[in-house]
Amino acid sequence: MSKWIPLWLHKLSSPPTFYRFAGALRPWLLALALLTGAIALYGGLVLAPADYQQGDAYRIIFIHVPSAWMSLFIYGVMGFAAFLALVWRIKLAEVVAMTSAPIGAAFTFITLVTGSLWGKPMWGTWWTWDARLTSELVLLFLYLGVIGLYHAFEDRRQGARAAAFLALIGIINVPIVHFSVNWWNTLHQGSTIRLLGPSTIAPGMLWPLLTMMLATKFYYLASLFGRVRTDLLDLESGKDWVRTIATGSTLQ
Amino acid sequence: MSRPGLTTACAAMLRRDLTLAWRRRGDIAMPVLYALIVTMLFPFALGPEDTLLERIAGGVVLVTILLAMLLALDTMFSSDIEDGSLEQLVLAPQPLALMLAMKILAHWLTTALPLIVISPLLAGMLHLPTSVMPVLMLALLLSTPMLSLLGAILVALTAGTRRSGMLLALMLLPLCVPVVIFAAGAVAASQQGLPWLAPIAWLGAALVLLLVLAPLACAAALRIALDA
Repeated sequence: MSKWIPLWLHKLSSPPTFYRFAGALRPWLLALALLTGAIALYGGLVLAPADYQQGDAYRIIFIHVPSAWMSLFIYGVMGFAAFLALVWRIKLAEVVAMTSAPIGAAFTFITLVTGSLWGKPMWGTWWTWDARLTSELVLLFLYLGVIGLYHAFEDRRQGARAAAFLALIGIINVPIVHFSVNWWNTLHQGSTIRLLGPSTIAPGMLWPLLTMMLATKFYYLASLFGRVRTDLLDLESGKDWVRTIATGSTLQ
Repeated sequence: MSRPGLTTACAAMLRRDLTLAWRRRGDIAMPVLYALIVTMLFPFALGPEDTLLERIAGGVVLVTILLAMLLALDTMFSSDIEDGSLEQLVLAPQPLALMLAMKILAHWLTTALPLIVISPLLAGMLHLPTSVMPVLMLALLLSTPMLSLLGAILVALTAGTRRSGMLLALMLLPLCVPVVIFAAGAVAASQQGLPWLAPIAWLGAALVLLLVLAPLACAAALRIALDA
């Protein structure tokens, strides 16, 4: 057993194997994402009780909070893949890191937009320089920097390695930014507006939230696999396995 | 073949870069002029009230100097890439990180130091109290080397690309957020008569850390960007 897993992982990192693996899993992941997403939305928008203070406006957290989790989670995945790509020069890790960046940026953007939509009725303003909001905005810029650097190079693999290096610098920077922004905010104003504490959440609100978290994970994997497949075809164009696919052979 | 020692190599590198910068003295004046003009625009945009300008002076000077340094960053390696001497440096037997540290030092001396020298003038134009000036200059003395070091890593990463000006800003500014927060925090605290040593100490600690790590990261980044 302990011998099988490394061997399987090693095989999986070869582009044609991963191409088939991702292709087989992708429809299932997408179906799971849609199913759990629908359940979570029904639970969150219909079944969950209204908040005694915020009424129905709080229901945006069923989108907002899972997106915020994903924005950090995907940055972690990207950083880990970037590390693998730089240390062992695995082509698949480069592709995974670079295709994760736009998905992560999209989740960060959704977090910011839903947060500000919720902030308008609740705080009376679209935007406030709260520590969490500011860190999330910086995170978006870090994602955009990685995407921009990747596309600035003529050579895709060289661009991927440079952007992977930037992603690693960013992963050191995220906690520093969060710490310093906290420090900055408490220096300037005594009473800060706090987001909802999730520890005191009612169980009727918690399960849709956790289901949505699962849905976003499935969606991320499905979207990642689709993007990785396209990128692998592009990068490996000219290789035999790509030619067999392009000419419509049985190799899926 | 005897190869020169590390001290000789470092001194030669520094002398070469400073000589090159001195031969093109006009370029040294550009960031200074830019900072002066940007500072001049603020009273036009916000109105000439003394109290308002006094309140924003520290932050405006810090951000202006940050932007002026950002504009000058592009030139750090560009001429060396064009004439191929950077590739020779990568191939040289001396440690690349140390040689790059010398280049960063030369760049800091020629772009940041003039800006620090005129910073009291910039702050004076915005009516910053004289008692706050030493703290502002101390904060600049600690934060501008960090900007040069962080910027050098990113300039090295973009060494193999054609268009890098806006991209450099997009990559550098998020990394600068903590530096700006602590530098401006020290100035604001001193202006309000509060103890300002804590943020300065944080800046100093971060600078020491970056002095060690950034040249190594810069060397690694340059190897990635040049290896085609």
